[in-house]
Amino acid sequence: MADELKISAEKRTEFGKGAARRIRRADKVPAVLYGHGTPPLHLSLPGHEAMLALRHSNAVLTLDVEGEAHMALAKDVQRDPIKRFIEHVDLVVVRAGEKVTVDVGVHLEGEAAPETIVTTDHSVLEVEAPITSIPEWITVSVEGLEAGTQILAGAVELPEGVTLVTDPEALVVNVSQAMSEEALEAELAEAEAEAGIEQEESDEDDEAAEGEGDSEGEGDAEGGEDAEAKDE
Amino acid sequence: MLIPRRVKHRKQHHPGRSGMAKGGTALAFGDYGIQALAPAYVTNRQIESARIAMTRYIKRGGKVWINIYPDRPLTKKPAETRMGSGKGSPEWWVANVKPGRVMFELSGVSEDVAREALRLAMHKLPMKTRFVSREGGDI
Repeated sequence: MADELKISAEKRTEFGKGAARRIRRADKVPAVLYGHGTPPLHLSLPGHEAMLALRHSNAVLTLDVEGEAHMALAKDVQRDPIKRFIEHVDLVVVRAGEKVTVDVGVHLEGEAAPETIVTTDHSVLEVEAPITSIPEWITVSVEGLEAGTQILAGAVELPEGVTLVTDPEALVVNVSQAMSEEALEAELAEAEAEAGIEQEESDEDDEAAEGEGDSEGEGDAEGGEDAEAKDE
Repeated sequence: MLIPRRVKHRKQHHPGRSGMAKGGTALAFGDYGIQALAPAYVTNRQIESARIAMTRYIKRGGKVWINIYPDRPLTKKPAETRMGSGKGSPEWWVANVKPGRVMFELSGVSEDVAREALRLAMHKLPMKTRFVSREGGDI
């Protein structure tokens, strides 16, 4: 569920990277508010409050711009890839009771059948939802699914009032058969031989084999590994 | 190991090391990943070694994606050779990785398993890196 958060914003009068950097240095976030045919409004948001409000995707904010209230949806949040601070926010004007199209993350729950690999092909689904009840996640259960099972977007159960915009034929979850142990071991051994990294691996194996006492040479280390595999 | 099948020029200039990653800074396929925090040339051997380390740990339980490709050749002159006489012969294939780049991704395993598998893989890489996850809000 989207939270409605109140933030007081100031109008920006100077633009460009120099001005934007000065705003960021003052612990504020440059932002722009547009939509519904209104002229774009350039704002600066308080840094800490914006960071707390925009922790979750699709946050709905109530902005107080010099005494004027605007309801807005965070459409795009640009973050620094390393330090993760917010560089800029795009806000879209929304009205109460309006339906909006948003991207909502897919959350898997449950355990698929043994010897399978569950992969999420579409990690977000585009849905249309009322502004007051945007789901935080769409939960998809993979409990007991067998290899070869595919869950398409059309088959995903959505919360009440939410409709799917993504192509219903889009693959969301794919359950495939895990590679056999022999095939995996053969593939890794071949890759190691090609890369010539037996020595690196044997160092790790030696550490694992230390508990078993003897760790002389590569053959012994591999023997230790085999023994571990048998125990499992 | 990853090696380009055919290249236009066998010997190239060294790739530029400055700047930040322009793209590929978010998880695109998996639920967990390794993000570079410093620039580095990652060789195809290091990529393969990291892949093997994480695949060995997760055994058959997950899927691994490699988001970088070693498409730049680096050359080396033979030992005890006088300077001059042209550029050396190609010695390594490297991926030019800038800070912020998500290099490996992993899915289909629990977070604990992913953390340990990626930690083992991080030790094979030549720069400082960190673990990132989709649900942790890192990306």
